[in-house]
Amino acid sequence: MATTTNYSWTTPDDTGLVKDGASAIRTLGTAIDTTTKNLNPSTTLGDIEYRSSSANTNTRLGIGTTGQVLTVSGGVPAWTTASSGGMTLLSTTTLSGSSTSITSISGSYTNLLILINDAYASGSSITVNTRFNTDTGNNYSSGGYFLEDNTNYPFNDNPTNQITVMQTTSSTTALNKSSVAINVYNYTSTGNKFVNATSTTKLAAGSRQTILSAGHYGGASAISSIQFTLASGTWSGGTVLVYGVK
Amino acid sequence: MAKSTRPMIRIHNQETDEVIDREMNDAEFAQYQADQEAQSISKAEAIAKETAKAAILDRIGLTADELKTILG
Repeated sequence: MATTTNYSWTTPDDTGLVKDGASAIRTLGTAIDTTTKNLNPSTTLGDIEYRSSSANTNTRLGIGTTGQVLTVSGGVPAWTTASSGGMTLLSTTTLSGSSTSITSISGSYTNLLILINDAYASGSSITVNTRFNTDTGNNYSSGGYFLEDNTNYPFNDNPTNQITVMQTTSSTTALNKSSVAINVYNYTSTGNKFVNATSTTKLAAGSRQTILSAGHYGGASAISSIQFTLASGTWSGGTVLVYGVK
Repeated sequence: MAKSTRPMIRIHNQETDEVIDREMNDAEFAQYQADQEAQSISKAEAIAKETAKAAILDRIGLTADELKTILG
């Protein structure tokens, strides 16, 4: 019997008998039906097909769920949940006492972004220092500027057992409160961790103050806790937001 | 309730979301006092430096603003 070029469907020979036509057509139709179904195994709205390891046989892939993206897994297409790039809010903490710590920080991210918003304290111009992993050793090296009323007050490597990130206001006026953004890069590294901070506050004396500071934390462990300590007095308000950044 | 004699600290466990407010323990309080002492020393040094600067300006008869203008 003759066969077709692409799918090898059996067709009557040119010399075949007309009386055998019905059977030949039924055989051809069955073959076409089987091939078509193999190429198009869809059963449900949203299905797509891809070629399987067998020639002329596709594999059905059901639709994914909302928000999933098409990716490749094991050499074939697959729906997967989109990895959340950008930032993930890990915790929100209200500042309290003389020192506020965030502990058991997830190590699943590349960098940390810590925002202290709308902070104020029992006194103005109180220095706020940061430590990691409750490490009080001389494992910090930082420097920066206090910019206050158009005057710069540089500070360098002082102190070496913590990093200065901002000063407080005691003002409860929204625009006067203290805020700081702190980036901690490669915080799970066992080597130096780069830290930079930018803060703003309006001191009780009426000065607008910005602190720009940067440095390294050289502790050998991944950072899993962060502590914000006032040099004196207590926090009266403010929020610490910790974001994991991929 | 007994009056708190040491500074309070807040510890927020990110994994369990548990928040603990308590007084500083011995080690924490000792470190807090050491930090305060170190800061007051560096503050005193900064004040001494400013005082010396003011004395020099006074000797040469310039204000800090006038010196800034000169150094421009």
